[in-house]
Amino acid sequence: MTESGSTSVPSPVVRSQGNAAVAVLSAWLVPGLGHIYLKRRLRGLAFFVLVIVSMLVGCSLEGNLYRVVPGQPLTILATLGSMGMGFPYFLLRYALHYQGNIMGAGYEYGTAFLLTAGLMNLLLVLDAWDIVRGKKE
Amino acid sequence: MLSHFLLMVLYALLVSLFFSLLWRRGRREQIKLFLQIFLGMVGGGLLVAWLMYPFPSGPPAPIP
Repeated sequence: MTESGSTSVPSPVVRSQGNAAVAVLSAWLVPGLGHIYLKRRLRGLAFFVLVIVSMLVGCSLEGNLYRVVPGQPLTILATLGSMGMGFPYFLLRYALHYQGNIMGAGYEYGTAFLLTAGLMNLLLVLDAWDIVRGKKE
Repeated sequence: MLSHFLLMVLYALLVSLFFSLLWRRGRREQIKLFLQIFLGMVGGGLLVAWLMYPFPSGPPAPIP
């Protein structure tokens, strides 16, 4: 089906607003940056604050920043989810050597906040993808 | 900071703000969805807690 065909159904794609790879990669690396790149500055800033606050609360509660544990396949999914927060994950893991404290009173809550930060950012990546494909404003 | 209720409210606040900004564009629609998600999460949490109240909590989970 060609776009110029007289019998073709119009494509839902309105227009491309930027480079898809740049939008998706920046959205993953820094929460909200994909939206800022796509000229949604205020929304991007709000998303940045929400994801970072969730991450900071999780760290302050000494939650678990997942890594793959041999013999526990579900930790692969949890690690991928946590890595969704992009650069902050690697900053915490490798630069700040963050480790949760399983004895901490807020461990379980902190883990939920940290995992949520990663999952929220993965949704932002998908949202940036939809915007750049013209499927969403 | 370690109050179960406050942490639940904070979590619900962050999540409901996130989804209302992600899924809605107009201010009115955003506020409406925010209230739906926030009240649903907090109210649902309290409801489940109330339903679990008669049951014994049991021994603490072993630390691995």
